[in-house]
Amino acid sequence: MLKELLRSLKASMGIYEAREGAVYGLLAEFSDPAALLHAARQVRKAGYRHFDAHSPFPIHGMDEAMGLGNSKVGVITFFTGTIAGFALGWWMQWWMGAVDYPLNISGKPFFALPPSVPIIFELTILFSALAGVAAMLALNGLPRPYNPLFYSKNFARVTDDGFFLFIAASDPKFDQEATRRLLEQLGGYNIEVIEDRGEEERVPAPVPAGEAAVPTS
Amino acid sequence: MAAVKKSTFPGWLLDPLQPTRAQAEPRYRLPEDVRIWAVPLALGVGLLIVSIVGWIIDAPQFYFSYLVGWTFCLSLALGALFFVMIQHLTRAQWVVAVRRLPEALLWTFPVLIVLFIPILFGLHDLYHWTHPEVYDPASPEYDPILAGKRAYLNVPFFLVRVGFYFFIWTLLAYKLYTLSVRQDVDPDPSIPAQQRKVSAWGMPLYGVTVAFASYDFLMSLDPHWYSTIFGVYFFAGAFFVALGFITACYVMLVRRGPLAGVVRPPHFQDLGKLMFGFTAFWAYIAFSQYMLIWYGNIPEETLWYRHRLEHGWEGISQLLIWGHFVLPFLILLPWAAKRMPLLVGIMGIWFAIIHWIDLFWIAMPVLHKELTFHWLDITCWLGLLGVVVGLLFYRLSRHSLVPQNDPYLARSLALH
Repeated sequence: MLKELLRSLKASMGIYEAREGAVYGLLAEFSDPAALLHAARQVRKAGYRHFDAHSPFPIHGMDEAMGLGNSKVGVITFFTGTIAGFALGWWMQWWMGAVDYPLNISGKPFFALPPSVPIIFELTILFSALAGVAAMLALNGLPRPYNPLFYSKNFARVTDDGFFLFIAASDPKFDQEATRRLLEQLGGYNIEVIEDRGEEERVPAPVPAGEAAVPTS
Repeated sequence: MAAVKKSTFPGWLLDPLQPTRAQAEPRYRLPEDVRIWAVPLALGVGLLIVSIVGWIIDAPQFYFSYLVGWTFCLSLALGALFFVMIQHLTRAQWVVAVRRLPEALLWTFPVLIVLFIPILFGLHDLYHWTHPEVYDPASPEYDPILAGKRAYLNVPFFLVRVGFYFFIWTLLAYKLYTLSVRQDVDPDPSIPAQQRKVSAWGMPLYGVTVAFASYDFLMSLDPHWYSTIFGVYFFAGAFFVALGFITACYVMLVRRGPLAGVVRPPHFQDLGKLMFGFTAFWAYIAFSQYMLIWYGNIPEETLWYRHRLEHGWEGISQLLIWGHFVLPFLILLPWAAKRMPLLVGIMGIWFAIIHWIDLFWIAMPVLHKELTFHWLDITCWLGLLGVVVGLLFYRLSRHSLVPQNDPYLARSLALH
């Protein structure tokens, strides 16, 4: 149960588990952003959930086509960083000024709200920003130095002129033949099976003829 | 293309241009129903007539209540002026579908000049610095501080300044309003550049005139007190209330039928973002003013706040913190809240109420030591607002509800 929860959480970050036989998923290339957008929408419609689109630049409308919904960064930021920074700033001002080291400065109260507001505000902003960046990284599954997609030579073009759609083998609907047909129907080409060979001790599964992943040097 | 005809004098005060309704696309027309503008106008005039009774009973109370209501309407028009100019200067595209109502609101300035006349009769009751005895060294009322400020605070110069402010504001309003309405019938491609040009030289003049107007109309009610940030404070409130009012009007228009499908949740989300932002901006300015005076702790500055932190006024001060900042900030913070036109519209109405309370809190402690509400506060405020809203919808009923030939209109309509 917990394992299943963890798996779907990781999948939402774009970290998928390989199937038996190290099959990680199918990668297809598309000719242009519009084709990729169309493919993402159709793949979503076909019931796939574990898939990701890769492009050299953000494509307007892709989040909607992939059915990603609203970003959760704002909510996480508010309920962690914002409230924590606010409370900590208030507490710190009171504890330092009135408890730990009270100093009489021109007869002002040891703790008063007006001069504390800027500090509370700054700490709120600081903690919100840090929590926001941390939440963004976590939700994206970053930093991620290793990704099985890097085994594909063709995929290197994603930073230049390549538009790719990847369907993970961990998706319950994934079927190597049917998924490949779907990608072909949608206009995908250079379709290749990606294998997760990240762990050295794992023995590579026999690869079906004609679908050999590009070997690493 | 046929040029838009100009109105002649008395009508010019209400709308400087002849109707262009016939040339507007049918879906951009307000329904042909006189009640839309006649009802608020009649209510407003009625309430102002009732207020005259109050003037007979208690003239100083009438003048203060009237000044609060009048500055409320002034801040609506000034906020709308900033709204229109900043959108032209930034070449904002999203805003085109919701720009006509603020443009029509601009032409409130000529009416405000007429409505300023009662205040002229109340200068003695409103402004302590108009009393000649405070400048007479032989008089027991002699006030050396005010005597030192006499070069600025005297009635002739005050009137010259007010005249100058309204000249500038009316000129800007005339240019921006008529250019936009002319564009409805004459898609002259040079109009957007002209609108930008007017906004460019208008913006610095706007900043100076708004700041000094706030000193003259509100800050000089307590002529010993001064705060250099007061102009920004007034501007923050003005833009805040204008955003709320514009949004609330559009929510009502969309819910009643006209503009349904034209102004959509994405527009309300963007208006909501501005409302949210200027809630925080107002709080930032209000707090900056308060904190510096608190820290400096100089009697001539702190006295103003002292009046507002006792005798019941402290309740209003608390209300401003919560109602003008904390609650609107938290309510408008989530993405989903700004996508709900009804919620954003209700917040817009709340913005109008809380901004009136803000002005009430600035002006009324000068008259009453104890927190006092008077029925004149409400009749003067709603009476003036009724006149302004009635005339606003009168202008809107004569022209298209959308700048229909603006080059960015299609993009604004496709906003998502």
